[in-house]
This record gives sequence, C-alpha cells and structure tokens, in this order.
Amino acid sequence: MSDHTRPEHVVVVGGGVGGVSTCGDLRRLGYTGSLTLIDSGSVLHDRPPLSKDFLLGRIDRIGLCLQREEWFAQQNVTVRTGETVARVRPEEGYVELTDGSRLPAEAVVLATGGTARRLPVPGGDGDRVHYLRTLDDAERLQPHLTDGARVMVIGAGLIGAEIAGTARALGCDVTITDPALPLEAALGEDLARWLHTRHAERGARVLDADVETIVHGLEGTDGSAGAIVHLTAGEPVIADVVIVGIGMVPETSVAAASGAVVVTDGVVVDAHQRTSVPGLYAIGDCSHPKDAHGNLLPRIEHWEAAIHGAARAAAAICGVEPPRTQAEWYWSDRHGVHLEVVGNPVAGEQIVRGTFGEPPFAILSFADGQVVGAASVNDPKTVRAARRLIDRRTPVTAEDLATGDLRKLARGKS
Amino acid sequence: MAEGINAGPVSAIGEGEAIVVPEEQTGTGDGIAIFNDEGQIYALDDTCSHEDASLAEGYIEDGEVECPLHSSRFCLKTGAVLCLPATQPVRPHRVEIRDGAVWVFPGEVPATP
Repeated sequence: MSDHTRPEHVVVVGGGVGGVSTCGDLRRLGYTGSLTLIDSGSVLHDRPPLSKDFLLGRIDRIGLCLQREEWFAQQNVTVRTGETVARVRPEEGYVELTDGSRLPAEAVVLATGGTARRLPVPGGDGDRVHYLRTLDDAERLQPHLTDGARVMVIGAGLIGAEIAGTARALGCDVTITDPALPLEAALGEDLARWLHTRHAERGARVLDADVETIVHGLEGTDGSAGAIVHLTAGEPVIADVVIVGIGMVPETSVAAASGAVVVTDGVVVDAHQRTSVPGLYAIGDCSHPKDAHGNLLPRIEHWEAAIHGAARAAAAICGVEPPRTQAEWYWSDRHGVHLEVVGNPVAGEQIVRGTFGEPPFAILSFADGQVVGAASVNDPKTVRAARRLIDRRTPVTAEDLATGDLRKLARGKS
Repeated sequence: MAEGINAGPVSAIGEGEAIVVPEEQTGTGDGIAIFNDEGQIYALDDTCSHEDASLAEGYIEDGEVECPLHSSRFCLKTGAVLCLPATQPVRPHRVEIRDGAVWVFPGEVPATP
C-alpha cells in the first residue's frame, strides 16, 4: 500500500460503537485530517445495556454514552447529531445530507447499523407493541415494566431473553414465546436448552407458538384489558406490553443511494470493509462480508464485530496493515446468568469443563487438536483463555480442555 | 500520605491471579485488587469503571487486566483504559513488597518507570 494517499476529509455515518470506534482508531493510526461523525439520533450511546442496566434503572442516559464530550474534542472529531445523510460520493469528494447541504469527504465509513425487524402480523404495529434498538425505544418501554405488569415477549433470542430476565427482575408477569429453541444453532442443543429453561425457573411462562394477530383497542374503561395476542397454538395471551425481539434489518439505504452493492441483509464488503464504491467503507451491523472469491460469508451482528470492523476500515483508510483477525466473541446476561461465547462452539466435539448445568461451567469445542469455540456460563475466564487458544492456534488435548490450566496453555507454558 | 495496608503474603497470590482488599479497609470507597502478572505485583481499584464487575476476577496477561463482564482492558501499571466499553481509567495504587508481604498504599500513585 505504498502508493496510498490518505484522505483529507473522512466522514463516519452512524454513531454507535462501530462509528465511534472508527474515529478513535483513525486518530490512533495518525490520521490528522478532518473527521466528522454524523448520527440521526440525539445521543451517541451504547446498545447492550439498553435491555439490562438501563431498563433496570441502574444507569442513565449519561452512563449509556459511548464516550464523553471531552473525548470527541480531544480527538478533534466534529459530531453532528440529528442529521441524516442522503448519499455519499467519495470519488467526487463529498457527502450530501438530506437537507441538501454537502460536506467534503474523500473517504466515508457507513456504520448505520439497522432497525428492529417488525412483526409481520396484523396489529404488530399497535401502541402496546415495543421494539428495543435505541435509547428512544428503551425510554418508551421503561415506564411500562412495572411490578405485576403483564409482559409478552415475542422471540427468545439474545434480546428477547435478556428483556424477559429484566422484566422478571422488575416483578413483571412475563410470558415468552419462540417457536424454535433459541441459540440451538449457535451453541448446540444442550446448552441452548439449559439457557432457555432458566425462563421457567425464574417464573416466566414459556410458550413455543408463533403470533398470528395482535388485537388492540378492546381495553375496558379502566384500561385493564390489554392487547390480545393470538397464537398459532394455545390460548390467546393478554398483555399490557408486547415486546418483539425477532432480529434486525440492516440499514443500507445510504449505501444503495450511493451506488454500492447491497444484498438483502447488508452492504457487501471485503476483508478491509471496502464496499464496491472506492472510498466507501461499511462496518458493523449494516455490513455483509464476502470472501476473496466474492462469496458472501455469514453476517455477524455482535457488538465486538463492529469494533473489529472499525479497526479494519481505519487501517485501510490510513493505508496500514489490518489488525490480526480474532475469533468472534459475544456475551449475554439474563436471569443472573452471564453467558460468553467465542468462535464456533458447535464446530467440533463439545467438552464440558466443570459440571454441566451447575454454574460456573463451560463447553469447549475441540477439533483437529485445537479449540475452535467455547461457551461459558458464569465462567468468563475459560472463554477468554479459549479465545487466546483459538487465535494462537495452540495445540491442545481433550484432557487439557476438561481440566487443564487454559491460561498457562494460552501462554505456551503447559 | 496514607498508611500502608498489609495485604498478606505475596505467595498467597498465584501467578495470573488477584486478591481484593475490601472497601472497609482501603478507605477509598472501593476495594483494591492486587494482581500478580508474571511475578509483578500491581494494585488497581477493584471495580471496573464501566459496570459493576470485580477486576480481580478478570483475565490477567501482558501487563493488562481484562474485565470479566465486557472485556474492557486496563493497564495494570497506570489503570489506563485500553478499549471499550469502559471509557474511564481506574485508580492505580502504589504497592511495596516487605519481607514477603504485599503492602498497598491506597491513593498513592505508583512511580512511573
């Protein structure tokens, strides 16, 4: 990349963890040109705490902020909130906002994230139906999660399960439904079932039906009737609040308006986060990676993946080597359980560390003499060690994984 | 200058492990975690600056501790925050080894090498 010319103006679109990380990474790599971060919202906030500490009232808006104002000043980042981008033309050197004004930019990073997938049934857009993706969503939902409130959670994946846990902790009367066993594909049946069983153990009613319709407007004069959720099987559920967590839809409209190749679930990017338009990069939830042959790879929606994407995009903009690839890692907290996952826990033979079902415990996935994935319940150190073993391709035995000192192994001191 | 606290024998802190001097003893409003990274002893505020997690339960390696909840990393020498989601440092505290015991001096900044 010796002929690389660094841009003089970089615009980052989207102020979630990916966009904010991109700004920090560009400065860390010595980019000294102008740097503007544009977000359509009002607060540049982190998302994972929304379903937990924010709804529980343990942190406020300030606590959610990804960085303090001083940080943006120190990093010399111009933050423009409440503004939206219409299209970008990095080759022509500008970004156009929806109000028609233009900003200079020879490189643009799209970190536009996505929106909560809408429940495609009649009544799925009623007043009592909530989604959780933004601070606004969380602030709208929070007052309804009161002691004894009837809460219906639709979808028991990461967000649905976390909200159910939070709602139980707040004393709500929780029903959660998912036609599939959540996380089975990611974690394997045993751990997925153990995690799903926590809902009933913590007093939530667990169903496995799909939603057919939600009937609104039949509330009595005292407001007690609630929304009636009709299911594909079983009795309808009457709820004061319905919370839908059935996935997200990448926000790709700016990329599409800018001529980049977009597929149904994301802006197509290469290993350097480059889109099909020179000077235009996409990272995090809005992006969809392809391999060197152009084949689409699985899209990763996790928090840390956005940070890694930011680091790669910043490196590409600065013309330096990308950081080393790391195994994918994520966490989830529900019902007092801290789950961590790294790599692919179902790619090999699953070896249990500790006693399955009695936290702390972990499963490690073992294939061809190496760790290829791990998942832990209240045992993060095992996953952190496994992550290093995966990234360093350290040779291990099944016995090491069951009972060995993984940290020492990861340091090459077995 | 605050008085030192005897946190017990160095030998009680295994390599890659940490102990906590409880808040009631430190007088700093937080526990102090005392880390052993390859034989080097360091002390930081125990609570992660992001959410309520004990850094003593974190993963210790290469002069850093990684928070057990969300993987923010902190420099063991200075308490500097090295990655998100935390954005604020944690306080470092000076330690001294006397006759095989770890003494920690709450609120005293360690000498920079």
